[in-house]
Amino acid sequence: MNNLFSIFFALAIANNFILVKFLGLCPFFGVSKKLSNAISMGAAVTFVMVLASFATSIIYHYIFVPYGIEFMNIVIYILVIASLVQIVELIIKRTNIRLYNALGIYLPLITTNCAVLGVTLINTQEQYTILESIVSAVGGGVGFTLVLIIMSGIRERLELCDCPKAMKGLPIAFITAAILSLSFIGISSLM
Amino acid sequence: MLVVIVILTAIGVVCGIIIYVVNRVLPPEDEALKKTEEISNCLPGMNCGACGYPGCFAYAQALAKNPELISESTCATVLQNQEMLEGLGSALGIKLNPSIGKKALVYCTGDTRVLGDYSGAKSCKAASRYVGGTKKCPYGCLGFGDCVEVCPEGAIHMDKERNIAVIDPEKCNGCGLCVKECPKNIIKLVPANTKIAFLCSYDSLKDIPGREKCDRGCIHCRKCYKACEYEAIVWNKEKAIPEFDIEKCTLCGACVKACPQNTLTEFSNILRKVPV
Repeated sequence: MNNLFSIFFALAIANNFILVKFLGLCPFFGVSKKLSNAISMGAAVTFVMVLASFATSIIYHYIFVPYGIEFMNIVIYILVIASLVQIVELIIKRTNIRLYNALGIYLPLITTNCAVLGVTLINTQEQYTILESIVSAVGGGVGFTLVLIIMSGIRERLELCDCPKAMKGLPIAFITAAILSLSFIGISSLM
Repeated sequence: MLVVIVILTAIGVVCGIIIYVVNRVLPPEDEALKKTEEISNCLPGMNCGACGYPGCFAYAQALAKNPELISESTCATVLQNQEMLEGLGSALGIKLNPSIGKKALVYCTGDTRVLGDYSGAKSCKAASRYVGGTKKCPYGCLGFGDCVEVCPEGAIHMDKERNIAVIDPEKCNGCGLCVKECPKNIIKLVPANTKIAFLCSYDSLKDIPGREKCDRGCIHCRKCYKACEYEAIVWNKEKAIPEFDIEKCTLCGACVKACPQNTLTEFSNILRKVPV
């Protein structure tokens, strides 16, 4: 149990995907302009991460390890994640149109997100069991959502602030992200 | 080596089969939903809410149920764009033309006298709260340009000479924001194919004589009504102002010439300064 907690917090905060591992940076800047968008994007990423981790760790433990072909993991993981997202999108679209509208463009966007591929590769690298993989995916997703929410909250206020013209928009957002990243790396050195 | 190839192919094929099976097993897309999606693809998708529905998708849902609705509440952005309009028309199965839209019109010529110096906040809302405004006519445009600020299309400008807001019908998309903004309620939405503009907000139900307050206001002489040969002007007896029938009007200009106050003008001519 203790082990699971430490995996969760390691991926959520100390080894945060965005600010410490620098994965999934395009949604970080693309979708962090509004708080509501950030929350739905975070939820969608968490959902896909958990599903992808589950599927890939099953494939890893029951196909790759017995046949000794662990080196093929990247190719297979991309394939599995892409088809998984397609299936999930199909199911949501046909059964719950409201949820489909709420998730909107974010679900297909995540198909090739590097944070999703990253979490599955970390699971393989760290030799996590299936349960541990799911917990690490939840941790990664929560960390991703947390950073997106923090950043969008800051950026909503940055829109109103009086900063030099050359720094308006993305430049000031990059600087903010750098300072945020420093603080998260600081946490990781404490642990 | 062979094992790798076989396993890779197997996993790929299994993924493909699963997608195929899921696609077949699930109920097919609803017919109404398909149509709604088709319509919503023709809409701008910026969810401005000017059509009166919460977002473009809700508007598309309403349109899918009843395509006739388009003439009552039209998407202002689509109207501006010929391509989008044709796309929406073909999605709905109706032929659409730009004249189904609405344009905003300031019902004032702006020639009422100014009461005196006003040095308060330069805002129509503030001025109208204070002493009802700086103009002699209580139904006149105050000229501080609150409506200019809210117009998303930049269609409104202030005519410095007459001290009045003028709306460019070419740029106006009929969103109605200025109508809500004007504290004097003298901006109204008119059909986009309006031919004659009646530039006065005063009528007999309001208790001031037009002639005293303004050089250009309607004096209820009925000359326009008598001048019209096509019965396109109906005299509203209660309000003592003319009302125009767009279908019958031929734009002959007889009423504009007949008006002794120059209160009437061609709608297409609204931007040019009307001679006094």
